[in-house]
Amino acid sequence: MASIAEIRDGIATNLSTISGLRTTTTIPDNPQPPVAVIQPSSISYDRAFQRGLDEYNFVVTVIVGRASERQAQRLLDLYCAGSGSSSVKTAIESNRTLTGVIQDLRVTAMRNYGTITLGEVIYLAAEFDLVVYTQ
Amino acid sequence: MPKYVVTATNVTLNGADISSACASATLELTSTDVDVTDFGSGGWTEVIGGLKSGTVSLDFHNDYGVGAINTLLNPLLGSIATVTLRPNGTATSSTNPLWTATVLVNSVSPISGAVGDLATFSVSYPTSGPVTSATA
Repeated sequence: MASIAEIRDGIATNLSTISGLRTTTTIPDNPQPPVAVIQPSSISYDRAFQRGLDEYNFVVTVIVGRASERQAQRLLDLYCAGSGSSSVKTAIESNRTLTGVIQDLRVTAMRNYGTITLGEVIYLAAEFDLVVYTQ
Repeated sequence: MPKYVVTATNVTLNGADISSACASATLELTSTDVDVTDFGSGGWTEVIGGLKSGTVSLDFHNDYGVGAINTLLNPLLGSIATVTLRPNGTATSSTNPLWTATVLVNSVSPISGAVGDLATFSVSYPTSGPVTSATA
């Protein structure tokens, strides 16, 4: 059974195919955008007999810059695209078994495209939902 | 054994442990009703048990890997196979009986699923001959 750390590292490796996008496992107080924050959100255990399958849900929050920056929105649009060299979905699904660590994964949705406040700074960000199947 | 939550049912197919690909298992045994109602039945129907039969129903997560469920099951179409089931793990005991059924693999689903869903398929096979249980 893959660990959360192994899955998170694998997702980070896939995201590293996007030029210039950093990754981190915790939401930073002072982010250096663009940065993708990878966090588990829920786990459904025992989807098959005898620990045969667990279903993990991850949220990848992509923070692109201060909300006032016009360039930030253009960049976030590229990350949210369904395809292309900057597509978060394409990058994460570029290696769907994370080189054998898991059974499969899929980016199911983008949501909460908008602003988030970290410290006293308002950033533009979007969240991507992932479902991960692991044995 | 106390009441329990189903997590560790053990399922084998022709000796291969397929538990980790299986999400649901049901063995149902039935008997036909034979009507023996007569004038002495006092106005009620009377029945006795007739022929027994069984059904093994399994829900699978599809997998095309070497030795995985798809490669195990598909070649058996039209054949007789042996399925064993234990309610909770691999150790047979009085509280974890081993049920053995010979079934006719009368259908397979090599392709199943909608976009975005986990690839799954379900089968339901009639038993052939007696279904036995053992506690040791």
